[in-house]
Amino acid sequence: MNVKSLSRRHRARPDLIQVPPWVRETFDSYLVCEFTTVKSGKPVTLPLLPFYLPDSGKFVVTSSILFSKKAENVRQNPKVSLLFSNPEGSKAGKHAVLVQGIAHADDSDLDHGWEKYLGYWRKKEPYIDAYLTEREKFGWFWKRIVVQVEPKKILAWKNGDTSRPPEVFGA
Amino acid sequence: MTNLDYHRLGNFRYAIITLVGDDGFPFSVSTDFKIMPDKKIVLQKPAQPSKLDGKRVNVLFNHITGLPGGGYGDRRYMLVWGTTHEDHGTLRFEPETVSEWDEKILPFDQYCAKSAPQGAKYLGRLQASVEA
Repeated sequence: MNVKSLSRRHRARPDLIQVPPWVRETFDSYLVCEFTTVKSGKPVTLPLLPFYLPDSGKFVVTSSILFSKKAENVRQNPKVSLLFSNPEGSKAGKHAVLVQGIAHADDSDLDHGWEKYLGYWRKKEPYIDAYLTEREKFGWFWKRIVVQVEPKKILAWKNGDTSRPPEVFGA
Repeated sequence: MTNLDYHRLGNFRYAIITLVGDDGFPFSVSTDFKIMPDKKIVLQKPAQPSKLDGKRVNVLFNHITGLPGGGYGDRRYMLVWGTTHEDHGTLRFEPETVSEWDEKILPFDQYCAKSAPQGAKYLGRLQASVEA
């Protein structure tokens, strides 16, 4: 690791899992992640739009009630993972980063609770406002559960080379 | 194994293997794959997890196409559950069940309409818990 990377890491909050800049760029830039919940001991993995919250170090995905099984799984078993493996549509390099964490599903305000993440959403899907203007048409799509994930361990394969062991952070 | 369209499966660029680790957390790793002429699915063996012989896993094949103005389209995925077997330094994947979506086959608005019962079920349960 070079000096620049180290100094950036040391400026960050000490209570957060510290990762090098290329990992952070992956979190910020990749448009989709592969989000896994566990149902009756069986993994269920689906592509989702993730948001990384730099102030808390947490991740957020939101889920329409139409596709709410993942939120129900989280309530049964909060252990989840997010894999960032697909750089398509981003300007970031190709890496693979796995985040394992504890998830909490919040459906206390299905109509507006997710709106605080619209800025992150807009950055990744700039056309989202066009869908929002048709909010009535897709009524239940916009009833959304917020799933927040607190990372416990991060495993990262630079250049996406999973034939080698990953760098591990936060273990 | 039923319903697995090997032709469409072959259009994906890579695979993501996921299993539940001994610590209870899901563990996902991306890897290359190929479909053999006899329709066997062969996955490149990742360094971790180190033991994948006889493991129950799911394998996600996912695709998006980035759009010039930002965002993405051409969404499709196949999520296949099955068992991995170590075989001469690779992994042979025996698929069992599949769940998938391809927006070119089922457009997003129709996908939402098809999923309405799940939404109704969720709202019903939420209402019941509020009233309890």
